[in-house]
Amino acid sequence: MSVWNYVVTAHKPTNVTHSCVGNFTSPQELNLITAKCTRIEIHLLTPQGLQVISLQPMLDVPIYGRIATLELFRPHGEAQDFLFIATERYKFCVLQWDVEASELITRAMGDVSDRIGRPTDNAQIGIIDPDCRLIGLHLYDGLFKVIPFDNKGQLKEAFNIRLEELQVLDIKFLYGCAKPTIVVLYQDNKDARHVKTYEVALKDKDFVEGPWSQNNLDNGADLLIPVPPPLCGVLIIGEETIVYCSANAFKAIPIRPAITKAYGRVDADGSRYLLGDHAGLLNLLVITHEKEKVTGLKIELLGETSIPSTISYLDNAFVFIGSSFGDSQLIKLNLQPDAKGSYVEVLERYVNLGPIVDFCVVDLERQGQGQVVTCSGAYKDGSLRIVRNGIGINEQASVELQGIKGMWSLRSSTDDPFDTFLVVSFISETRVLAMNLEDELEETEIEGFYSQVQTLFCHYAVHNQLVQVTSSSVRLVSSTTRELRNEWNAPSGYSINVATANASQVLLATGGGNLVYLEIGDGVLTEVKHTQLEYEISCLDINPIGDNLNHSQLAAVGMWTDISVRIFSLPDLNLVTKEHLGGEIIPRSVLLCSFEGISYLLCALGDGHLLNFQLNLMSGELTDRKKVSLGTQPITLRTFSSKNATHVFAASDRPTVIYSSNKKLLYSNVNLKEVSHMCPFNSAAFPDSLAIAKEGELTIGTIDEIQKLHIRSIPLGEHARRICHQEQSRTFAICSLKHQTSAEESETHFVRLLDDQTFEFLSAYQLDPFEYGCSLLSCSFSDDSNVYYCVGTAYVLPEENEPTKGRILVFSIEDGKLQLITEKETKGAVYSLNAFNGKLLAAINQKIQLYKWMLRDDGSRELQSECGHHGHILALYVQTRGDFIVVGDLMKSISLLIYKHEEGAIEERARDYNANWMSAVEILDDDIYIGSENNYNLFTVRKNSEGATDEERSRLEVVGEYHLGEFVNRFRHGSLVMRLPDSDVGQIPTVIFGTINGVIGVIASLPHDQYLFLEKLQTNLRKVIKGVGGLSHEQWRSFNNEKRTADAKNFLDGDLIESFLDLSRVRMDEISKAMSVSVEELCKRVEELTRLH
Amino acid sequence: MENSSPSSSPPPHSPTLSSSSSGAFLSNLPSRGFLSSTVLSSNPGGIRVYICEHETLPPEDQLIHTNQTNILIRSLQLKKQKGEPGPKDANGSNAAEGSRKRASEKVMDGRASAKRSNNQSGLQPEGSGSRTSDKDLYSLTVERLRVLLKERGLSPKGKKSFEELNFLKFMQDELVARLRSANG
Repeated sequence: MSVWNYVVTAHKPTNVTHSCVGNFTSPQELNLITAKCTRIEIHLLTPQGLQVISLQPMLDVPIYGRIATLELFRPHGEAQDFLFIATERYKFCVLQWDVEASELITRAMGDVSDRIGRPTDNAQIGIIDPDCRLIGLHLYDGLFKVIPFDNKGQLKEAFNIRLEELQVLDIKFLYGCAKPTIVVLYQDNKDARHVKTYEVALKDKDFVEGPWSQNNLDNGADLLIPVPPPLCGVLIIGEETIVYCSANAFKAIPIRPAITKAYGRVDADGSRYLLGDHAGLLNLLVITHEKEKVTGLKIELLGETSIPSTISYLDNAFVFIGSSFGDSQLIKLNLQPDAKGSYVEVLERYVNLGPIVDFCVVDLERQGQGQVVTCSGAYKDGSLRIVRNGIGINEQASVELQGIKGMWSLRSSTDDPFDTFLVVSFISETRVLAMNLEDELEETEIEGFYSQVQTLFCHYAVHNQLVQVTSSSVRLVSSTTRELRNEWNAPSGYSINVATANASQVLLATGGGNLVYLEIGDGVLTEVKHTQLEYEISCLDINPIGDNLNHSQLAAVGMWTDISVRIFSLPDLNLVTKEHLGGEIIPRSVLLCSFEGISYLLCALGDGHLLNFQLNLMSGELTDRKKVSLGTQPITLRTFSSKNATHVFAASDRPTVIYSSNKKLLYSNVNLKEVSHMCPFNSAAFPDSLAIAKEGELTIGTIDEIQKLHIRSIPLGEHARRICHQEQSRTFAICSLKHQTSAEESETHFVRLLDDQTFEFLSAYQLDPFEYGCSLLSCSFSDDSNVYYCVGTAYVLPEENEPTKGRILVFSIEDGKLQLITEKETKGAVYSLNAFNGKLLAAINQKIQLYKWMLRDDGSRELQSECGHHGHILALYVQTRGDFIVVGDLMKSISLLIYKHEEGAIEERARDYNANWMSAVEILDDDIYIGSENNYNLFTVRKNSEGATDEERSRLEVVGEYHLGEFVNRFRHGSLVMRLPDSDVGQIPTVIFGTINGVIGVIASLPHDQYLFLEKLQTNLRKVIKGVGGLSHEQWRSFNNEKRTADAKNFLDGDLIESFLDLSRVRMDEISKAMSVSVEELCKRVEELTRLH
Repeated sequence: MENSSPSSSPPPHSPTLSSSSSGAFLSNLPSRGFLSSTVLSSNPGGIRVYICEHETLPPEDQLIHTNQTNILIRSLQLKKQKGEPGPKDANGSNAAEGSRKRASEKVMDGRASAKRSNNQSGLQPEGSGSRTSDKDLYSLTVERLRVLLKERGLSPKGKKSFEELNFLKFMQDELVARLRSANG
């Protein structure tokens, strides 16, 4: 790999951190807005009776920052709500939706950082006064920042107010106060918790002691809920009590011990609230009141959801549960409990991969394509997720058949919704398969067809007829009697080379550039037009894409010699458009098709490239030419439909499905190696299926939902923290922990073995009390052919700051069971295990330790310490390559060690002297190592072997820096897509990473010239694609930690670069001009990059 | 992290899942007429990714900055405007201790003081009645202020603790305040 890296998101963040409901996109529309760390999603709640879709995703908005707070508010005199967003790097913006332009407008933005101040340990707080007099921010200990509104709803200069309370847990605005009043929940230096109120005196820019305060609350009080008028006051949610507090009332109730993670207000008058706790239990808190006086509190358990991070009551008993630890959910609250006594009905789950604690890249189906298996979720919502790129074909039936040259499905009558026959053509014969009564595919005969020759094309036709085109003739056959009704013979001396047909038309080409157009009548084939072109014809299409489903107005023709594609009008065969394709590769397949109301001409070349044009049905004009590389072999194009949408299957050495989303063509790999032909086969027994010819086999299969990434969930009910795959035993091992939420809060740790196909638990090994599984490895040792799972553990005792004891356990798999072979006690936590020169390399607290695998006299095995290296704070992450060892330290960045065989010693070779708190490391190549750290940055360092002095050689030089905005837990070499050795993209090495927010990303090392090209493109894109809310992309990607901020270097933002494809044509042209590269070339190069993930 | 200790808690009100109470507490859930159908879509296609091609900078006056005036100085100014006596209350000096470094930094920063004096003039339009307007007074050096004070028979000394801080601007505030109260 190299220092020039391209970072791109394969799976976007799915951790929902905030949500709110309001009239954002129009005064009449109700929206749910969710924040997923660096993105916001706008959903539309649709009104009664109009449609079945109730929560409609509208827009996914990338934000150049990590969202710290998200609030909807309505300034005076506005008809719709504004959105307030503050980011963790101290930027804020106020967004408004422009209904007319469907754009987000920045109403205000600013930088709210202070040069001096200690950032809060607890989360940043951003709140808006219910009467819209000011925005309050708590970002630094001891300071409360106020952004006042003027009476026109405009923001004014912000100012700070000193806040005496240093350990603030929550701040909220109180309702119904003449002056804006905040209530502060804080902890004093004796760890007691209190609330206090302050009025904000805007004129004096200071606090005035508020109307009331309350000391000595529940020790776990952590959340304030302001109660709207007429009741006003505040609810203080503790772990054992809930308190209602106002100037003149105080009510408290005890609750079952729980940590409340989120709340959602149900009623506008604030008499009911939904509270979600750490165990995912959803409670309803009711404030009982009489004559606007609070008389008491009641709490009712409703049921179980994912562990919530945010709760939004939508409407009409529907509630959105946003989760960081599991899937987010749409639930409904039922009046009557179900059989289990739960009032909660989960209607929909929104996949969340976060937090990805660990993952591995495997090729389960052995097709040369990587799949990522993640340890996702936490606590009870823990799961494994299998993430696969591309579209899967699920095989239903298959038969061995060699030498298939073409396939078509036919209906037995024109209005039959299902296909009956499957015509399979070979080099010198044609066979017909049909479904019999037992729903089996068996050979049958259509008497009117020539079966002794190859079929060039087949189609069902109007008036219950079938059409067969062979090299000598076109035959029209009745589909009921199966007898020949009419035949058109090629002129003598000519044979038909290529042909196509639809239900009422046939277009064919004979040698010498003759193009013949026939129309199908009831029992008659009429030659309507004949024309001679100057060159031979290579491919044809008359797929109807207009209003008439049986008749096409246009024909597409691909040509030899001048390498062009032409559009002819039908029936007169007049040339409408001629487009030279350029190059020397002839078009092999053309297809007229229509996606989302846009007509396209697709043209596949003999070298695996695909050109697409937008086609004007009226004028026949071809515009917006784009070129992509799909494979290396000739492509055949066919349409098929799945779930009422039309897609195109491109059969080649790298089969691809072409589909459209948001009026953009997308290309998704199919998980098959090589497909020569495909035709849709929608039979009663196999509805919506495809017949696929590949490598001497005919397969009937159904196709996955058409989308780029497929995610399968394996719920575990416990929290998986480490995962490892073992090829030999075809198993996964995981380290997991199970929480018991019974009387005593406790957890038990396990090593579990799972089947790699079914994901069933095969075996489990329970660790000792207080023993955590920290690392997991599948390896073998020198002089031993067996494969083992090695598990590193730590005894985490409550009285110890750092574990002082751990174990290395070595398991073998016998009869699908974990069998403990040997164990070795260690003097600390085994944070990492690596296979190293046939030995085992362990990172134990501050030490790197190498163990030999020894055979004892009695034939048993043991780990024997060979050598070690001290000098780390905590060696958390270790990767090895040859004799080199790269260590990611808790706080001392990356260091490079070397193992010296002769001396049997490990020595430090070089280190990065920056103080980075590491979260993951990986070796990119011999000299370059990548690390991620806890300020959400990525960086690369380079070994400086050519340094002149020892001092220089002992330094790892920082060569790349980038703000990812995501906390990376793991890097792994590998790829999500199938790698073809002879494609360009196949040469680009990649590393995959997984993050807390559920992002799966790809880091690709580019050749220098490509990097420079894309860097230029990125610079130009920054000028065209503006940051929402006025946030700057350059600032967002700049490396940033407590000490310094520096421009990103040697990393490119693939997400920005790939959004080039979503730009309007005008903007593409602008960039093309600035770059002096054609739009077609730019599209092709960016499209290639999208195929990395 | 989960420090829930159920030891000395009163018997928790344990909400049971018994359906005896039925769902009375869930009746009359608010509805605005949305989401009346329970039939759900299976996420129809992909959600559109927003690509922002238009200018996103806010109107010029809505590019918000934080007032850079130190909290202490600001409060002193405000108090002065109200005609209150100087920072003799305990609160003020406490705060001064805390912001010693920051305040001096701000003094170095010419912008802050310039802005402050602008504010001052803006907020004190009625100052025209006095012989010397506040703006004029602020433009004077501390030495000159002392002379003015002497002329009027007032003490030319600043508060000592602040002199120790070498806190020139504060001195200026203080002296101006004294002059002004003499004027008024």
